[in-house]
Amino acid sequence: MNHQPPIPPVEPTPTPSAKQLEARALARRHRDRMRLRTRRIRRTVIAGATSVFIAAFSGIYVQLATGHDPALVAAASRRTTLTASTTSSSTPTSTTTTTNSGEDDTSTETGTSSEESSTAASSESSTGATAVTTSQS
Amino acid sequence: MTSIDTNILATAVGPHLFWITSRAAGVAALLLSSLSVCVGLTIGGRFTKLDRLDLRTTHEALSLATLVALAVHGISLLGDSYVHPSLADISIPFLSSYKTLWTSMGIVAFWTMALLGLSYYARSHIGVKRWRKLHRLTALAWMLGIAHSLGEGTDAGQIWFLAMTAIAVVPALALLAVRLSESSATSQAHAK
Repeated sequence: MNHQPPIPPVEPTPTPSAKQLEARALARRHRDRMRLRTRRIRRTVIAGATSVFIAAFSGIYVQLATGHDPALVAAASRRTTLTASTTSSSTPTSTTTTTNSGEDDTSTETGTSSEESSTAASSESSTGATAVTTSQS
Repeated sequence: MTSIDTNILATAVGPHLFWITSRAAGVAALLLSSLSVCVGLTIGGRFTKLDRLDLRTTHEALSLATLVALAVHGISLLGDSYVHPSLADISIPFLSSYKTLWTSMGIVAFWTMALLGLSYYARSHIGVKRWRKLHRLTALAWMLGIAHSLGEGTDAGQIWFLAMTAIAVVPALALLAVRLSESSATSQAHAK
């Protein structure tokens, strides 16, 4: 014989009262409202952050395209200054070349100074500027 | 503008797109972090009657947006053809040869902000009181970030940038000063 344990009687679940149902609905509505508010705040922040990024990007893009970018303007002015100093330094060298055209040393001298000048112009550094000054002296 | 003009413009700006992206993300990060600090300080203080839960949600969203902007700011530099940094250069302090001090300041500020900001999600493990104490250091990281932007930023000498920084930073600094004075007064009262 198979003896099975007796099945306990199932107690009927108490039906919630109208007050309880109302309270649950109120809590659900409150929770939904909170969730909606949180979502709205997050969306606003994302939209704001994206707008700030786009505005900054556009501003910098236009600044760069119109040639008013601070970094590029500074680099260009540095390059111009160096080129100007290179040009002024090469003038006395050419005079020397004309004066001492018959001597052997002149070709070497001219070669050195032009080499230094080109280095200074391309490097855009303070060391390059010093090289120009040295060639002038 | 004709199509030829537009093409010339695009060709001229094209090589700098990564650089522009990095600069724009840096600007966005500066504004978002300053706003986040402001909101964070108003949560604890008595400056506003706004709902605290709303303020907390705003603070959290702003902080996450700041971290995203900072990630874009660093990662987009990897494509820059002028500085051409490596991943290590932009993530490990004192490794980059380009304006080492200012760059390192930015890197330290980012890691501090990321660690302290994301630790919010592990505050039950850290302990709420300990986490609150640690979270105060975020203000230092924010200040380090501002120093980085003023010291290294390409636009740091521009009037629009200085004005924007002042508008974003001054209110946050004022709130921070008020909070610090309040907390020092409270600690003095407790000592008595």
